[in-house]
Amino acid sequence: MPSPCRASLLIVALLAGGCDQMRNDPRGHPLPETPPLVSTVLSPVRADPRAADYQNNAFQVSNGQLYYHWMNCTGCHSEGGGGIGPSLMDVNWRYGSTMEDVVQSISNGRPNGMPAFGGKMTAAQIWQTAAYVRSLSQHVPQSIRSGRSEGLSVGEPSTLRDPHPYRAVTPKQDEATVK
Amino acid sequence: MRRLAPLVALLALGGCHGQQAVLGGGGRDDALFGGLWQIFLIVTIVFYLVVLAGLTWAVLRRREGGEAVVRTTFYIWVGVVSLTLVGLSIASWLVDRTMNRAAHTGLTVEITAHQWWWDVRYISPGHPDQTLRTSNELHLPVGVPVQVILNSADVIHSFWIPNISGKQDLIPGRNNDIVITPTRVGIYRSQCAEYCGLQHAHMAFDVTIEPLATFQQWWGDGLLPARAPATPEQKAGYAYVTTRECATCHNISGTPATGKVAPDLTHFASRATIGAGTFPMNRGHLYAWLADPQRAKPGNKMPEIGLEPDQLHAVAAYLESLK
Amino acid sequence: MARNRLAWGLLAALVIIVAVAAVIAIIGRGDRATQPLTAYTAPALAKMPAAASVPGVPGEWHIPAGDYASTRYSDLSQITTQNVGQLKPAFTFDTGFLKGHEAAPLIVGSTMYLITPYPNVVYALDLTKPGAAVKWRFDPKPDPKSQGVACCDVVSRGMSYDNGRLFMVTLDGQVIALDANSGAQVWRTPIADISKGETVTMAPLVAAGKVLVGDAGGEFGVRGSLTALDEGSGKIVWRAYSTGPDKDVLIGPNFHPYYAQDRGKDLGVTSWPGEAWKQGGGTVWGWISYDPELRTIYYGTSNPGPWNPEQRPGDNKWTAGVFARDIDTGQAKWFYQSNPHDLYDHDDINELILLDMPVDGKMRKVIVHPGRTGYMYVLDRLTGQVLSADPYSYITAYTGVDLKTGRLQHNPAKEPVSGRVVRGICPAPPGGKDWNPSAFSPRTGLVYVPHLNLCNDNALSQPNYIPGTAYLGVEAKMYAGPGGNRGVLTAWDPVRRKAAFEIKEDLPLWSGALATAGDVVFYGTLDGWFKAIDARSGKLLWKFKTESGIVGQPVTYRGPDGRQYVAIFSGVGGWVGGLVSNGFDHRDPTGGLGIFNAVQDLPKKSPRGGRLYAFALPR
Repeated sequence: MPSPCRASLLIVALLAGGCDQMRNDPRGHPLPETPPLVSTVLSPVRADPRAADYQNNAFQVSNGQLYYHWMNCTGCHSEGGGGIGPSLMDVNWRYGSTMEDVVQSISNGRPNGMPAFGGKMTAAQIWQTAAYVRSLSQHVPQSIRSGRSEGLSVGEPSTLRDPHPYRAVTPKQDEATVK
Repeated sequence: MRRLAPLVALLALGGCHGQQAVLGGGGRDDALFGGLWQIFLIVTIVFYLVVLAGLTWAVLRRREGGEAVVRTTFYIWVGVVSLTLVGLSIASWLVDRTMNRAAHTGLTVEITAHQWWWDVRYISPGHPDQTLRTSNELHLPVGVPVQVILNSADVIHSFWIPNISGKQDLIPGRNNDIVITPTRVGIYRSQCAEYCGLQHAHMAFDVTIEPLATFQQWWGDGLLPARAPATPEQKAGYAYVTTRECATCHNISGTPATGKVAPDLTHFASRATIGAGTFPMNRGHLYAWLADPQRAKPGNKMPEIGLEPDQLHAVAAYLESLK
Repeated sequence: MARNRLAWGLLAALVIIVAVAAVIAIIGRGDRATQPLTAYTAPALAKMPAAASVPGVPGEWHIPAGDYASTRYSDLSQITTQNVGQLKPAFTFDTGFLKGHEAAPLIVGSTMYLITPYPNVVYALDLTKPGAAVKWRFDPKPDPKSQGVACCDVVSRGMSYDNGRLFMVTLDGQVIALDANSGAQVWRTPIADISKGETVTMAPLVAAGKVLVGDAGGEFGVRGSLTALDEGSGKIVWRAYSTGPDKDVLIGPNFHPYYAQDRGKDLGVTSWPGEAWKQGGGTVWGWISYDPELRTIYYGTSNPGPWNPEQRPGDNKWTAGVFARDIDTGQAKWFYQSNPHDLYDHDDINELILLDMPVDGKMRKVIVHPGRTGYMYVLDRLTGQVLSADPYSYITAYTGVDLKTGRLQHNPAKEPVSGRVVRGICPAPPGGKDWNPSAFSPRTGLVYVPHLNLCNDNALSQPNYIPGTAYLGVEAKMYAGPGGNRGVLTAWDPVRRKAAFEIKEDLPLWSGALATAGDVVFYGTLDGWFKAIDARSGKLLWKFKTESGIVGQPVTYRGPDGRQYVAIFSGVGGWVGGLVSNGFDHRDPTGGLGIFNAVQDLPKKSPRGGRLYAFALPR
């Protein structure tokens, strides 16, 4: 094959690799037939194949950012720093940091005041919001994280934040931290 | 030439009639603009004919002598054209000033554009409890100048009721305003006129111009809370709508559904279209919308809820009752 | 040559312009009066109304405000300006909890009563035993879900004591009467619905046989109310809402507001769009004062909900104002809305100090009230008329209070607008001063106001109302005001209407103040220093570093051994301290409703804590 052809094939292959990250699928996964998570015990939840679909797609994370504001998550968690609810930006996770754990937190609520959004948001919305929540603490690569907020913001976009994991430094911690 | 004239006339008439027609003659601004347009049309037709005549004459009656022969004619022609251009500019400027100097009588409507729907709020100064919030429709009294304050929640949109006035952008971070004066009773269609995303083409709303008394009646009815469900199916729909996903985003006055980020549904069934002009309001399209809003208007912010068939019937029955 | 002259001329002009601009900038720098720390010798003409002292034994502390007039002043004078430097901790007590300790300890006889933040455990300490041993402990077991709807840390601001019983409220709104001797529960009445975001953080007031409890949750779209329960049985006697029709707000024929802006029928509905009054806020989470002679209670209502003002055009009655009500029936006597159509979360729940003092030469019954707006209001407590409103902190958001109409005048350049970030709004949402109460000394005639110097940036967004979640629509970012100090202790002369002296503090002041007859004023800082200053000059006489930042209210009492003790909780938290007490992340400037940005250094300056300190002079 002549070399321009090879070069363009290489470029196309590289681009195709990144296409999934930017694919815009407004209908989202899952379709209603897939069962929702039902476990309410604080134990490791079985891995769910949907997790990869949501957290590796910029559109899903960006939709999650929209719902993070619409569902008043900012009222208690601010833009990730916390305020009434705990911080979502640091390495401390009371109830687990995997996608499945976060989906369960949002869907069923948690005992110390996290409301249950299970019947109030669709499953796809909850997965999208969970993907966004995880993106606040660098669990999601920078190429997928949202670079701007939906409206004006007094803070910085998350893509500009310090990429190093942060643990709130206060002696005398009294809560168990589950990673 | 003779055959061309009716064709020209036909073209001119193309934008003149219909629900969404510039020069349709539904508003004060539109009438002003229509008048200006006619002036321009006539002047340009006259000049076109004169130029054609001059060319024809020059070709047929070619003469030696060159420039000197036509010098005076030339100077006269330049003078006439300049004066005409100045005159047209003055006419245009006058019309523009007249449009912008419109009086403001106290009816204020605030429109916030979202992707891809319109949030409309009627303000009664001094009476905050008379504030009426509705979505995707605009009712206005005929003959009354209305100040429309325009704001956007996300990207730039444009407010345009072709029959009534020109366009005005809705720019995030800025309150634009436009004063419009509808002059003819009727139902018109408005369309977002600035590309704003995937569903820009489906961001219209219906404008109803009615007599003042009818308009005030409509406003008063709009302030009433939503109708209570009557039949068992409507009651089941009410139970779903007010306790499940619908209530999180939509507002239905007088019920526990108090979400504020999506169109107001209090008098949903009285509107002419669903989804900001995407579909006409009828049962079939309502079912289609509720069953799969992403198929109906891909990319819009309402997710697919995943209603079971009986829930779908119940919710549709309830929403249809919200007149 | 000509070019040279031109250049010199331009340079001279530039120098002159810069000089003039500098002069203007220095002169026009804001509204605050500052005076050097010299001794202040004004005659003390303002005094507390005689009837407003709480019945009981002097040297004890039965309600957080000290007395019904909310002076937070004690007659004890064993600790004076001469010997306060020798103050030492007599005993300490760890509550076992590490959230914000905002409560005031109570002392009745020889027992000290403490209430902790959530889970609101009540301790009774026997002061006759060495080290103040625990006499009993009561665990009310509040609902853990209430922690998720408490805007500003899971605090409790104290209890009240009357006639052998303690009256407390848990975070989830259960009013409980305890037998003070045994700690046994006498009755328990729930008054709040946490599923709507309603909690209770205030210290209930017990007076005239009633227990008065107000709710909290203006940030959650809660419909505010003040409830009166019968002291003996716990039954609800009356409830006055802060929004809605007149019959819910207990507005009847006895209601005579002074200003026209507050007059009209059903203003609690007509000054809101649609049904917004149902999520209108106006909660009563602050302080209540009581005048037994007039049988009237005075209290303020909180901000309207949501914070985003564009969602609620209208005056938004009856939020952000001061009510006067008859204590027996709850019927309103007057109302003054200090902040119609609030734009900045400037509640009006701060303490209302009842004084009899001369105004323009005539003795009048007044209320001295440091507002969140940054103005020190002096109101006539018979009519609600504003006699004066002078700035005690730096203000850019307002240009003044029109005394003829009573209306607060806004600065249009600082009004929040959607789609725009408005910068430099002073005071910030916690206001010129938040809930932490001032103290008044009749010996000096000064009101000691521990307050803030914060400004903020503000951006609006569309709030959504989902019951049980925050209903805000505002993103804020706070920072220090002019001067760089975030806290100030101002000694304000209400008769002369200006500050006598000011003490700048690095961190915001979130603790209450205490004034004593020894002419010593106590207060605490957010990095844990408990300070005593001279009441007349403001000179620092003594300080002690406690284990954690101080957000509580200092009290003083005479111990069983005859010594005067000063007691204070040390345990940082509250709205300003949530960064430490809850381990939040300071990297988000909008965190904690915007306050994290202002106190990013707090985690380094104060660890968490939860300890009561009691200080006394050595024997």
